[in-house]
Amino acid sequence: MSDVQEATKQLLDVNLHENWRANQVTESGPRSESEHLQVTIGATVPTGFEQTAADEVREKLGSSCKISKDRGKIYFDISVESLAQVHCLRSVDNLFVVVKEFKDYQFKETKEEVLKDFEELAGKLPWSDPLKVWKINTSFKKKKTKRKKINQNSGREKIDNGQGDKTDEKEDKKGFTNNTLDSHILDYYENPAIKEEISTLVGDDLASSKDEKDEKEETHPKVLKFRVTCNRAGEKHCFSSNEAARDFGGAVQDYFKWKADMTNFDVEVLLNIHDNEIVVGIALTEESLHRRNITHFGPTTLRSTLAYGMLRLCAPQPTDIIVDPMCGTGAIPIEGATEWSNCYHIAGDNNPLAVNRAANNISSLLTKSQIKEGKVSWSLPIDAVQWDICNLPLRTGSVDIIVTDMPFGKRMGSKKRNWNLYPACLREMSRVCKPGTGRAALLTQDKKCFTKALSGMGHVWRKVHTVWVNIGGLHAAVYLLKRTPQAFVHPSEQDGERTPWCKE
Amino acid sequence: MKPLPHNLPSPHVRGVGPRGFPLRLQATEVRINPVEFNPDFVARMIPKVEWAALLEAADTLHLVEVPKGPIEGYEHDEKFLRQMHHVLLEVDVLEGTLQCPESGRLFPISRGIPNMLLSDEETET
Repeated sequence: MSDVQEATKQLLDVNLHENWRANQVTESGPRSESEHLQVTIGATVPTGFEQTAADEVREKLGSSCKISKDRGKIYFDISVESLAQVHCLRSVDNLFVVVKEFKDYQFKETKEEVLKDFEELAGKLPWSDPLKVWKINTSFKKKKTKRKKINQNSGREKIDNGQGDKTDEKEDKKGFTNNTLDSHILDYYENPAIKEEISTLVGDDLASSKDEKDEKEETHPKVLKFRVTCNRAGEKHCFSSNEAARDFGGAVQDYFKWKADMTNFDVEVLLNIHDNEIVVGIALTEESLHRRNITHFGPTTLRSTLAYGMLRLCAPQPTDIIVDPMCGTGAIPIEGATEWSNCYHIAGDNNPLAVNRAANNISSLLTKSQIKEGKVSWSLPIDAVQWDICNLPLRTGSVDIIVTDMPFGKRMGSKKRNWNLYPACLREMSRVCKPGTGRAALLTQDKKCFTKALSGMGHVWRKVHTVWVNIGGLHAAVYLLKRTPQAFVHPSEQDGERTPWCKE
Repeated sequence: MKPLPHNLPSPHVRGVGPRGFPLRLQATEVRINPVEFNPDFVARMIPKVEWAALLEAADTLHLVEVPKGPIEGYEHDEKFLRQMHHVLLEVDVLEGTLQCPESGRLFPISRGIPNMLLSDEETET
């Protein structure tokens, strides 16, 4: 961890001169100066899944992560060439490039002094490299027509089709670069609901695309528009986040001569204050990546980043059968089919509305894949079924992984209903789940009910891990369970006949 | 719905014995989707296949060139794997029914989604 900090420190100590070349080692001849830039990227992830996200970063980018004390954030170093791949990470909600990090900031005594310090800070920060990164990052995205930002509230809300579709542009670009990192391709996604044609242009050769974009990009106008977002957490601060944002923002405006605009900005400067730790950054994502797969929302649609984290906890192996028996809009199986396409995913729900939404989301995904691939119709290893969680039409011991978001009993179902539902679910899930190797990741806010239901099932389920998460303000938990080697024996006499089929 | 999930279902109608499996597939609308061939994936799925059920499904869907069972050295037999790939991943039943051979209970498949819900009487233990 300390070499990350060391590298970060070195990088951030670079002065503001444009000619940074002296500080960088380039092995080959003169190329675009931005190519070998090393930067620190910060990412916000669902609270509780910081380690899972760090694992994904190590796996896909080869970088090690620093997990911040400020929950839900991780930091890692990359070279700017890997920026496109960073956008392909599936466990992160938002990305930003770090301008400077203060591990132990000394706040002065009075509010006036503290705010004055923030004002003076603006002019002393090493903006140059992070801004280069921001520029390159912007060249990945097409300029957008004005539109409302969707509600960034994580987790559960009712969103109509129109707004939901907008985030898919991000998904498009992301999932897309995932598959075809080595060619220039034009991507079109038409949003029928809001009758808007959105296209994304992705270039792998950063140097050339950057030059091209410079001409056309609306984000290189004479004057950039910006805003400052301040997040403050801590007991001992004598100022509010608004005050900090205002004064820091004022100084930034003076320094760069940018125009302040709260809604239609080009640059979002982040001022994150957590006790004595301050991180100044520039946002690289404007809408959270977490709703990427879903075009048809339901009342309790899960964040894709959370779905990814839960699936990853189960360590899917090739050809595993992965089932979500209460899939709702299908967020989990869809994320699964996209990321673990060598597994088979089944999405099931008893509610016809939910199953239809899931099927629609699957179709949308297929359409996008179709467009990307350009040629033939394409299929994903995923199916939707309407079924009853307490009577699953699945063979005993045939499922490797179960991942689901259980009804909390708040927006869906009721606490009282959970007292009967949870034990029945756990029982049926233990039947279909493969003894010995099977595992389940179950999300619920009704922790009391779940714990009680689980306590009677020690012979089939063993709890190995609990991740505490925050879902739309509710304190929930993801329970990771392992299926014990014991074969399922149904209490009723008639099902004594089922066990002979238990194939091992 | 691909034949693979159909392969998995078991009779969950109470009062129906083991012979209830496999559910009999009838299709009125089928779509063939070309899918990229991944020999490794197919080879690993073979041990999970319930052959009797698959062959019956293949029959009712009028699929030709379906292997009758795993052959020796199937992992390296491209022809075998491609045939299995086709029947497991490229056939999609859009409209049809699944029938429990014992009780005769029909489960509809509509827009590719099978409805396996039981009525209240059927779930009575």
